[in-house]
Parts: sequence; structure tokens; C-alpha cells
Amino acid sequence: MTPGRKLLVLALVLVGVTAWFAWQGASGSWQYYLTVDEFMAQGDSLRNVRVRLGGKVAEGTLQISADRRRAAFDLAGTGHRLAVRYAGILPDNLAEGRDVVVEGRQEGEGPFQADRLLTRCASKYEPAASTPTAVGPGEEGG
Amino acid sequence: MIALGQASLLAALVCFGYATFAVVAGGCCRHAGLRRTGLWAWAAGIAALSCVLGVLAWALVAKDFRFAYVAQYCNRLLAWYYALAALWVGQAGSLLVWAWMVAVVAGSFRLAHRRAKEPVLAVVCGVLLAVVTFLTAVMVFGADPVAPSLVPPADGAGLGPVLQHPAMLAHPPAVFFGYALWTIPFALACAAAITGQLDSGWLAGARPWALAAWTVQGIGILIGAEWAYEELGWGGYWAWDPVENGSLLPWLTGTAMIHTALAWRCRGVLKKTTLLLAVATFGLCNFAAFLTRSGIFGSVHEFSRSTIAWMFLVLLGMLALAGPLLVAYRREELRPEHGLGGLASRESLVAISAAALVLLAGIVAVGTLAGPIGRAVAGRAITLGPEFYNTAAAPLALVLFGAMAMVPLARWGGPPQPDQSRRLKVLAALGAASAVLAWVLGVRHAWGVGVAGLAVLALGAMGLAIASDFRSVLSAGRWRAAARLFSARRRQYASHLMHLGFISLLVGIAGSSLGSKSIDITLARGQTFHWSGYAIRLSDVQQEVLPDKHVVQTRLEVQPARGAPFELVPAQHFHFSTREWTAEVAVRSAWWGDLYAVAHGGSGDQHADLTLIVNPLMRFLWASGLLVALGAAAALWPRRRRGVHRPARPKAGTRPEQPPGKPHGLRPHRPELYQGAAGSPAGPQDPGVAPGHRAAATRRHRGFRRG
Repeated sequence: MTPGRKLLVLALVLVGVTAWFAWQGASGSWQYYLTVDEFMAQGDSLRNVRVRLGGKVAEGTLQISADRRRAAFDLAGTGHRLAVRYAGILPDNLAEGRDVVVEGRQEGEGPFQADRLLTRCASKYEPAASTPTAVGPGEEGG
Repeated sequence: MIALGQASLLAALVCFGYATFAVVAGGCCRHAGLRRTGLWAWAAGIAALSCVLGVLAWALVAKDFRFAYVAQYCNRLLAWYYALAALWVGQAGSLLVWAWMVAVVAGSFRLAHRRAKEPVLAVVCGVLLAVVTFLTAVMVFGADPVAPSLVPPADGAGLGPVLQHPAMLAHPPAVFFGYALWTIPFALACAAAITGQLDSGWLAGARPWALAAWTVQGIGILIGAEWAYEELGWGGYWAWDPVENGSLLPWLTGTAMIHTALAWRCRGVLKKTTLLLAVATFGLCNFAAFLTRSGIFGSVHEFSRSTIAWMFLVLLGMLALAGPLLVAYRREELRPEHGLGGLASRESLVAISAAALVLLAGIVAVGTLAGPIGRAVAGRAITLGPEFYNTAAAPLALVLFGAMAMVPLARWGGPPQPDQSRRLKVLAALGAASAVLAWVLGVRHAWGVGVAGLAVLALGAMGLAIASDFRSVLSAGRWRAAARLFSARRRQYASHLMHLGFISLLVGIAGSSLGSKSIDITLARGQTFHWSGYAIRLSDVQQEVLPDKHVVQTRLEVQPARGAPFELVPAQHFHFSTREWTAEVAVRSAWWGDLYAVAHGGSGDQHADLTLIVNPLMRFLWASGLLVALGAAAALWPRRRRGVHRPARPKAGTRPEQPPGKPHGLRPHRPELYQGAAGSPAGPQDPGVAPGHRAAATRRHRGFRRG
């Protein structure tokens, strides 16, 4: 076997191994990532399934426990709202009107039980409000 | 001012558009007059774009809210330097900064190579100018940085408190500057492929730019990681979020490209890979720079509504088509000059590293685009968690590490020489022993054990290569000769430094990700808590009201198991303007690890809610940036020129003695440089060659390469 062919075999093995590991990692960590509206529209099919939801903390609904370990609020999309209960350490900049991402599941008809809560610009930039063309109506000032 | 900005922006577009045409047409038809007008237009375009940048910068510092951009990202309370930093917070401003950087970098490239030979130079400049024109056009048609406010507000929306950090002044411009610098290797690769002048001349021209781009971008990414580490308060530095991933993609392919370019230069192999990687790196820079600020990751739905998105998509599509087509068209010229010299030859190691890097980039890309991919395949967007990246990337990182570890004792064109091969075997045994030792000491993760073993192999190989290099001169006690050897092989030692940085990086990543521990506690005032070898006592909680914020400082007295006690003061700030809390973390750093403390909101005077995190070996991660910067500086430091090699400036086109066969002429062909060509895949290993024998080595090398 020439070195070139050996290398090719090695590369194929590398691709295969990587694909296998990627599959392992993905099957353990993937989640649906939906907006509140999509989640509500899917109805019962996503009950008890762990999902990640993006939305806005609705004005006037945010309640924070005294020890800042629990929070309750309505997660608002453009047309729907979903009651969310969160347990865990709160992000410091959690506030009404802010875009947030929650992870957890809805069991039965109860509120959405979240165990992870990220404020949207936990990354470095405000992704909303970038340019007039990229911002949809009603999304200004996020 | 708005009118001036708008007019300048339009003028810049017209100038760059004309310059593209005139420089290419003038260069190809050898019409000096036309070409000269093109160059003037180019200069005028840079001036106009600088004027736009100046206008926007002035508006930001002067808080002129008649500019929509200023109203969106600035407010009256903002300090002038953060107001200036708002230039690269929004999409339009980032585009402006980026376009300006590309224009200036392209201009300085043209200045540095003003005597280089036409048609190649014309094509290079044409590609560069086309890129600048494209970016300017995007601003004119998609994201106007100097657009007026419809109704100028009394005060602007301001900059988020997280962004008001010194790193904001360094991280984004460094990353954007890296993107801008990658344009040059791309343009050179395109020109080489278009004109068919595919000798290694273009690589010599591209090398310093690629290395500079790689370094600046890498340091920029690391600054961003450091910023996330101390600002976001979750104890990590890399969250695999799309913005971070975007900047990592071109850096990974760029790393691969720098190494395959060495294989091309030293051995005449991996040519197609190098060209494709140059194109891919540039494409990914565009992808990253655009997507970072577009908000498209925030919601995929915005994509179809965005003009800019489509413009960049068309550009990426064109690159994805043009790259492979060019390579296919030139497949005859790009045929490898040699076969691969065995699996343990340098070129094979480079190929393996490149494959691992490209696969890593693929993993990152799949994870980043999981949302759109899921939507296309399953109809629902999905996300992949950090576990996906970590599981998939760890084996690739180990493969990469293994290939890099062997490089100093390998050679181009064949398996390692018998004595080197023996050394490698000994080192491999040592590496295995240290892996076992790591296991015994309590490292229980395959990836940590692997890093421990490979680190010993890599350090040993590097040490032995350097030792055998210096042995002959040092035994005679000739330090001066040793210094001369170092300067003659400067690039090789620079590559050792950068590879040391890589080892340090992997050690830091492995230590901090595998050994990290964290705990959430509530401490009452005066209470002592024992955890992870530290005795932590809450001594005080202090409240302070400043003009712009309310500060709560949590004073912790920490007594480590060994060593002197110290104080950690994590704080919380409540910003009156934005009405939000930010956490100011406190970190005590040492080589064996960091103690990281975060205080949470809601604490009273008598107790504090804290998260404590221990991150082992974090310092090695930051040290890697320093090592890489040192290595890059050593590699890029202008070479002292003496004797016959003096005219290293690109006068090639005018020098009659320029040997035929190097018609590219962007940089004279200097084979002696190949000896230690950067990225330790150096020239033929010739341990102990004394400076006086360099000429002989050079001749041999040349014959080796050509023959």
C-alpha cells in the first residue's frame, strides 16, 4: 500500500470516528429550539419533551423569590404566552421585556418547568436591533 | 455631517468600483495610464472610506443622535472610549470598520509590492479591490452606517453594561483585523490559480500576511474568551455560542492552510488543499463577520428578510463554486511534485493535522448551523449542547496534538531517520508512562490522560530537536555561534514557540474543563466554609452608592491549604441607567488553578449567595496566547539582510538577474528561508549544522526540493 493510500485510509477512519463521536455527542445533547409561538402551535406533541424556548419576559409578570433562586414569569412570543417556573441561579440581568432562552419541559397542563435560563445577550452582542432590514416589526428595543 | 458621510460612502463605492476595473484592465493590457488612474481612485476610495469612518466616530464621541447608528448604540452617559467602541457593536458600524481595514490592508499590500510583476499583481489587486467594493456596496445597499435618524431622540439606547469592558476595545477590532488580513492570502491564491503561476512564489508572498492574520485573530479570540471568563460569571470562557464559533471557523481552516502551505513550499505537495483552504478561510471570515452582527442566529426567520444576508450568501456561494472550479481547471499544474514519504513524514503529519482541523471546523459548523439544518431535515429547529462539541472535538484535538508532537523529529520526504525514530520510540514510552502516572494521580478522563501523555511526547521531541541542533556548537562553548544558529533558524524556533503555545492551550483546556468543580452556597457573615482545600470566610458585605450604580461588595477571606491567605471581593453592580444587575467576579489565579467567586443578586447585609468555582490550570490557557504572540513576532520580525540577499524588497520584477521560473515576482525566491520555514515543519532536519555550513545545506535543500 502506498503512503498516499494509507493516509487516505487513515483519513477515512478519522472521519468515521469523528462522525461516531459527533453522533454520540449529538444524541445526548440535542434539543428542539423553538419560539413560544411554535411551541404552543405544536400542542401536545411536545409535552414532556425537553425543549429550548426563545421568547421575551412579558411585562408585569416577573416574580423573583427573595433568595433569587426561583423565578416565575410569562414567556411571550408574538401571539402566545407561556407560564414559566424556573429554579436555579438567576442571571443578573434578568428583567421584564428582555429576550430570554429557557430550557426544560412542560409536564401536563402545568407551567413550563425550566432549569436553565439564559438572557439573550449573554453572548456579547445584542443580536436584535441590528439593522432596519433585519429587524422585524415589533422587535425594536429588545 | 450626515450629508458628508453619505456622500463619502457613495464616493468610496464609485472609486473602488472604478479602481477594480482600471487596475485589472490597465494591468492586463499593460496600459500604464489606465492603471495609474485606478491607483489614484483606490487611494481616493480609501480616503473617502476613512472620511465615513471619521464622521461616524466623531458622531459617536459627540453623541450626535441625528445619526440612527449613534442613537441605537450610544447614550449621553457613555465614556468617549466606549462610545468609540460602539463603532463595532452594530452591524453597519462593524461592516464599515471591516471594509476600511480591508481597504487599508489591501492598500498597504499594494504599496509593499509596488514593483512586483504585472499581470499577477493586477489580478491580486483586482481581487482585493473587488472585496473592498463588495463590502462598500453592502453598506450602501444594505446597512448604511451614516443613515439619519427618522426622529432624533433626546438620548440614545446606549451600550449594554456587559459591553462596557476594556476587552471591548481590543477583542472585536482584533478579530476583524484578522479577517481583513486573511483577504491577502486569498487574493494571492486566486491570482496564482487564475494566472497559472503556481510555483511557490505566491506562498512566500502570502506567508507573512497569513501568519499575521492567524496571530491577530487567535489573540483576538483569546481576549474574547478571557472577557467572557471574567465578565459573564459562569466560570467558563467558551460557551460554544454561534458568535464564538463563527470566529473560530476561519481560524481553524487558516491554521490548516498555514501548515499545508509549508508542505507545498518545502515538498511540493498538498497544493490543491492549500488553495482550497485559502479560499475557504476567506469565505468563513465573511460568514463569521457577517453572522456575528446580523442577529440571524437569534432568529432564523430574519434571514429571508435581510438584504445583506442574501448578498453574503451569494458571495459565499460564488466562493464555494469558484474555489473548486479553479482547482479543477489547474489540476495539471497542481499535481504533487512528490509522493508522500511514509506515514511519519512531515508532509503526512501536516496532512493529518489539516484533516483534523478541517473536521474540527466541520463539527463547529454543524453545531452552529444545527438550527437551520434541523429545520430543513426535520421541520423543527434544534440546538446541540456543549456535550456535542466536546465529545466530537476531543478525539480530533488529540489526533492534532499527536501529529504536532512528532513533527520536530520527523523530516520531509521520508520516515524519520533511524536515530530520530529511536528517540521517538523512547519518547512514546515516556509519554505512555506519564499517561499512566496521570491516571494514578487521579485523572480519570481518557482525554485528560491522552493530553498528559502527548504533552510529554511533544515537549520531549521539541527538546531533543533543539538539543541536537545546539549540541555541536555548545560543546565548543560557542554561545555566539549558538546565537547565530538561533537567528539563522529563527523561523523554526518561532514555530517551536507557537507549538509550545498549542501545548499550553490544550493543557489549559483539558485541566479547566475536566477538573472544574463548582458549588452554590449561602454564607452568613462571619461563617467559614471549607471546600476544595480552601477555608472561605465571609468577612463583610459592603454597600456603596455611586452616581451611576449601586455596588454590593462581598468580602471573602480565603485561607488555602498551603500558602498565604488572600481576599476575594466579588461584587454586584446595579446600573441605574439600564436598571440591571451585573456580577463582577473575583478570581485568584495560580499556575495549578483558579479560585473563581461570583456573588449573586438579592443578598442582604448579613449573608451572601455565592457560586465558587475551581478551574485547574487556567493560566496555561492564557499563557498560550503569550507564547503564540512571541512566536509570531519572532517569525515575522524582518530578517536582517546582508550580502547578496539584500534586496529582499519586491524589486523582483525589475531585477534582470531574477532567475526564470519565478515569474510571480511578489517576493524573490530565497531558498535559504525554507530551511526553517515556520510552523516547525522546518526544512530538512540537519541537526547540528553549523552556521558556516548553511550554504551547503541550502544547496542540498534546493536540490532536494527540485529533484
